[in-house]
Amino acid sequence: MATDFTRRRFISVAATLAGATAIAPLVSACGSGAQKTTGANSESGLRAVLPAYAPSTQITPDLPSVSGAADIATEPGFLTYPANPVVTVPDVAGRGGTYTAVTPLWGTIPPAGNAFYQAMNKALGVNLTIKPADGTNYNTIVPTMTAAKKLPDWIQLPSWWDPNFNVGELAGTQLADLTPYLAGDKIKKYPNLAAIPTGAWRAGAWNDKLYGIPSFSSGFSLTGLVYYRRDIFDAKGITAGQVKSADDLMNLGKELTDAKNGVWAFDDVWTYTFAAWGVPYKWRVDSGKLVHKYETPEFLAALDWHYQLAHAGYVHPDALAGDKENANTRFYAGKALIQGGGTSGFSLADYQSGTAANGNYRRGAFDVIAADGKSTPRLFLGNSTGILSYLNSNLKPDQIEELLAVANYLAAPYGSAEYTMVNFGVEGTHYTRQDGVPTATDAGKKEVQAQTYPFLASPPQVISNPGADVVTKDWTSWQAANLKTVYKPVFWNMNISMPQAQATADAAQAVEDSIKDCYHGKKKVSDVRDAIATWKSSGGDRLTGWMTDNVLNKYGTGQ
Amino acid sequence: MRRDRSLLLMVVPAILLLLVFNYVPLFGVVTAFQEYDPIVGVWHSDWVGLEQFQRLFADSLFWESLKNTLYLSFVQLILFFPIPIALALLLNSLLSQRLRNFVQSVVYLPHFFSWVLAIALFQQMLGGAGVLNQFLRSHDLGTWDVMTDPHAFALLITSQTIWKEAGWGIIVFLAALATINTDLYEAAAVDGAGRWRRLRHITLPGLRGVIMLMLVLRLGNALTVGFEQFLIQRDAVGHDAADVLDTFSFYYGIATGNYSYGAAAGLFKSVISLLLIWGANKLAHTFGEDGLYRQ
Repeated sequence: MATDFTRRRFISVAATLAGATAIAPLVSACGSGAQKTTGANSESGLRAVLPAYAPSTQITPDLPSVSGAADIATEPGFLTYPANPVVTVPDVAGRGGTYTAVTPLWGTIPPAGNAFYQAMNKALGVNLTIKPADGTNYNTIVPTMTAAKKLPDWIQLPSWWDPNFNVGELAGTQLADLTPYLAGDKIKKYPNLAAIPTGAWRAGAWNDKLYGIPSFSSGFSLTGLVYYRRDIFDAKGITAGQVKSADDLMNLGKELTDAKNGVWAFDDVWTYTFAAWGVPYKWRVDSGKLVHKYETPEFLAALDWHYQLAHAGYVHPDALAGDKENANTRFYAGKALIQGGGTSGFSLADYQSGTAANGNYRRGAFDVIAADGKSTPRLFLGNSTGILSYLNSNLKPDQIEELLAVANYLAAPYGSAEYTMVNFGVEGTHYTRQDGVPTATDAGKKEVQAQTYPFLASPPQVISNPGADVVTKDWTSWQAANLKTVYKPVFWNMNISMPQAQATADAAQAVEDSIKDCYHGKKKVSDVRDAIATWKSSGGDRLTGWMTDNVLNKYGTGQ
Repeated sequence: MRRDRSLLLMVVPAILLLLVFNYVPLFGVVTAFQEYDPIVGVWHSDWVGLEQFQRLFADSLFWESLKNTLYLSFVQLILFFPIPIALALLLNSLLSQRLRNFVQSVVYLPHFFSWVLAIALFQQMLGGAGVLNQFLRSHDLGTWDVMTDPHAFALLITSQTIWKEAGWGIIVFLAALATINTDLYEAAAVDGAGRWRRLRHITLPGLRGVIMLMLVLRLGNALTVGFEQFLIQRDAVGHDAADVLDTFSFYYGIATGNYSYGAAAGLFKSVISLLLIWGANKLAHTFGEDGLYRQ
């Protein structure tokens, strides 16, 4: 996989989940024995089935969403938690059916049958057994279930693991087609699901049919941002807004690095900076021809800069040693002043950890820049969501309807009575209101805060950090300021299921390894160029051909 | 048979476990000859014959990782193997039982640390921002980031292994030392044999069988140098230096959904390991030692 969302870096993935979901290639390998379709959606076919979008208007945000180009909009911000939560689902959703659901959990698994689960079952009107599974090994747990054809009734399949799960193949064989229930105006039966933006439904569609129920959807999902220690910059009198080019960044490296005192300017940034050179997310179309990012000159130019950065000694040695787990510790301690990271950097949890280490702590993010300082800065948008849940194809139609009604409850908007129940539990038992903010009790921390239900369905992302309004304001204003630079990349939100040989070339493990060695200063750009040449001849060119014939020419770019 | 009945009964659970967890999964090697797809299962995946192996042998990264494995294994054999023996001899020569227990506990302890912890410790000491380099920096001396130097990697991982496993490795040698008849030492001492002579003529010959056994096992495992240690440090020194056969199977097989490719690499490794252990055992027998079993 191209970005950092590899199976061996689950922790960073887990961190990203808290905020907007990350970009992940929605690629799945289709098997030899089963269907040989690409799984891609045709624009006309998909348009005919996509649910009608009806945004929720019941709760007004303090900092409203700003819309950009089609499908792109900033996330609304909330500075207060609604005092009297609105009820959006007046009738009990379920009819007493018994179901099992499996979700990934990065954290301590709550005790089975706990008071929160019981309260939720009562509120939902079903007997839903939640079985959270260890998120770190989730990609190996699910294939054993699919191989035995023993998927639970409801399951979460994060899209960055589509190649491991072969979702393209499961859709229609083991996962239920939801088109008959949700297509077009039919979704109006489930108003909270209808308030999920269209893009997120696209991300869960295969072969022109709806399969996935989106969670944490956003019209502003980004791989991440280039962050800096705003408090330290302010103290040194450095204005981040003055950074307009890659040279400016390099100069900051020189200015800020003080190795003798254990301070380096940079941590790992590559994943979040390469777009500044005009490198596409993965593909771009040059005068009708499909080009992989490895083949663009901009890509090598971007790598070269990062190689120089590492060689100049401006990157923290622990980052060069591949230690990502402690990147935030270095950032909080002021040992590395500029870091790349998922959008969850702007979160309450980060604020709490940062200010615990240093009372003045404030996180800032550089605006999107163009490396040469002259071109128009552009940043590719991520898929609308990477968190999709699926229903088992063995369920009967009325069972599917019952679970969709449950999903409708779980997707109730931020601040509603249902949202409060799903995210905070029962007042008095799981949370108390402190200054109007629902605050978890010990029972709440144990049973509710380890998120389970939101992985089955949840409302679109909002920005809310009770107790840290500065974070909410910083993040919403960054989104508004950079809205115009964000564009939809080629094959945006498209699900593609490809033969194993192409999936291997798409993952390009050998090239990705060389790239990492290069931005860590261990391999020259020419070595990466060699790895790319090998990749091209051993499958890369065939991948480009396959994508051109089977996806681009048939289904377009998805933009 | 009748005489051994109770003994045989006692090994039944172990044999059952061995069957269920070692022999039954062996069936999975058939995937190395398929284009295995977990969803359609082993029975319905396409057979591709030796295609996976052809790809494997044409893959330069595979040969790179085989080369690394053999090199690292060789370095570990030379530098690591003698250390537990020396440690065991040293410990054995300690007279105070309390001191001996204390030292033994201290050297055992690192075995129970995870590799993550062990490597984090090394990073704190020898890394670019670690104790060593900050000391060098503060005295305006040149720095050496040991943790990210591919050329020092073999020595680095060997010293990590020594730090973590040498203590644990002495157990079997200590047990062997305990079986040496102490009368022999007394008799030799009476005859005027010094410390070194006793070591050479009593202790080492007494240990020879065990040393040979460990050596045979080690050679059979020559292609297994560890996994986590390399997985964790792969990003630090780069995959050129850190990829061994096991990480190769993981990254280029399992991680990218190429299960059959990973299985082919794994099968190759097992076959070579079997040949190695067979050869080493044969060699031990030629020298009149027991090896894995008595002839």
